Amino acid sequence: MAFLIVAPHRLNGYFVNLIYITLVYVGLAYGWNIISGYAGYFSFGQITFFGLGAYATGFAINAFHVYWMLAALAGGILACAFAFPLGYVMLRLRGPFFAMGMFGMAQTVRVLITALPATGAGAGLFLPPGSDVTSVYYWTLAVALGAIALTIWIDRSAFGLRLQALREDEQVAGTLAVDVTRDKIAAFALSALIPGLLGGGFIYFLNYIEPDAAFSSRFDLQSIVMAILGGVGTVWGPLIGGVLMTQISEALWAKFPQFYLMLFGGLLVALLILLPHGIVPALKRRYE
Amino acid sequence: MPLLAVRDLEAAYGDFKALHGVSFAVERGEIVSIVGANGAGKTTTLKSLLGIVHPTAGTIELDGTRIEGRRPSDIVERGIALVPEGRNLFREMSVEENLTMGAHVPRARRSARSRVAAMYERFPILAERRRQPAGTLSGGQQQIVAIARALMSEPSIVLMDEPSLGLAPRITLEVFALIRQINERGTAVVLVEQNVVQALELAARAYVLSEGKTVMQGSAAEIRANPEVKRRFLGENSPP
Repeated sequence: MAFLIVAPHRLNGYFVNLIYITLVYVGLAYGWNIISGYAGYFSFGQITFFGLGAYATGFAINAFHVYWMLAALAGGILACAFAFPLGYVMLRLRGPFFAMGMFGMAQTVRVLITALPATGAGAGLFLPPGSDVTSVYYWTLAVALGAIALTIWIDRSAFGLRLQALREDEQVAGTLAVDVTRDKIAAFALSALIPGLLGGGFIYFLNYIEPDAAFSSRFDLQSIVMAILGGVGTVWGPLIGGVLMTQISEALWAKFPQFYLMLFGGLLVALLILLPHGIVPALKRRYE
Repeated sequence: MPLLAVRDLEAAYGDFKALHGVSFAVERGEIVSIVGANGAGKTTTLKSLLGIVHPTAGTIELDGTRIEGRRPSDIVERGIALVPEGRNLFREMSVEENLTMGAHVPRARRSARSRVAAMYERFPILAERRRQPAGTLSGGQQQIVAIARALMSEPSIVLMDEPSLGLAPRITLEVFALIRQINERGTAVVLVEQNVVQALELAARAYVLSEGKTVMQGSAAEIRANPEVKRRFLGENSPP
């Protein structure tokens, strides 16, 4: 923890950026883990909230000239608020239909933003010059730690138990007086808040955002794979999976720039075959 | 006034009408058996009582209050609990987590821990298996968890849907003994059971459903003696 706090002042820009991007992935994986890991709604579209958070932050900075962290907070809240009506509609779908529906939603929002002149359309949205990487780093660190704290609370709370119950059998959970609709929408909104807040930091980090970067399928898929590798529906899985995957990817890229994607893909497949339930459940089984 | 009074209940799944007029009543502390062939509407009746299926007509009164069309959470809060067909435990969750989920209703939530402890006292096997995923228990143990989970909310009436389904004969006898024990403590039971002989031995009264309608009612002894019931459900020929 102390290392993470002093890192921006002790490490060079490359390592600070590497830790920053790791924190973004870890945060995204934690956000995904709430709705998909705990509640069992496998989403392929949580990046929608990341993009919305980024654009809302950029819009607030440009239109109202507010301090960027306030704008990013507003972006996170907006993404969370958007999740309530969206969840009410989308969470009627189950399994692959929900996953595809969310993927379609991310693409729909991306296309809409590309078509809107107010968001800079396909050219993107520029912020006033003067990004501050250190403040973005600490913002992202705070969001990632907040996501971990939120997950610890969910894991130990009655709310978390209800989410796990509806993941296993929604109808039976309903017969035990669980307000299934309320709980899954709450989980969806919490899982939208985290990427929304991270998106706000991301636009300030780049000083610019365009639809393909804000709604990047790569971000979405990689954070999902990280959570799966670490252990879906566990407290520490997204952290372990996120840190491990980012570091392995970076190390392979540095050593084998021509083959790193092939090696990384092969390694990932091997890990998932060896540990189909992820690292944390495998460790639990071994030591319990 | 009966504890539970169901009158002319109708329910449908889309265009398919599953219940055409089911009526029955349950007194306090009574075991009532609902008998019928597959597709007669027994499970739909239980689902309607709990609000999982919304009735299209008819009334359901619990302790004098109309409950038809209410949400399952409201109905469970008012004192009805279900032991579903096939147990339907949360298989990956531990025995203790399953029991805790049973105390989810607001009136039971605060005392969930003491209720779990009381269940362990009552069913020592559950205390031994408290950390074990419920899906790894034997069929009989799973049924005990399902019953204990339903009892966690201290219901005034328990709906049991095929509690002996898939169990060995010896375990079935144990489960029926458990149902009698629960009833002796004052909880009313609505028992839907394929094992008609044992269900009628246990129940005070019974209703026969056919094609979504109540077609016969009476004491368990009367129903057992009915030639039609004997022929259709007990595998006996009518006396000449």
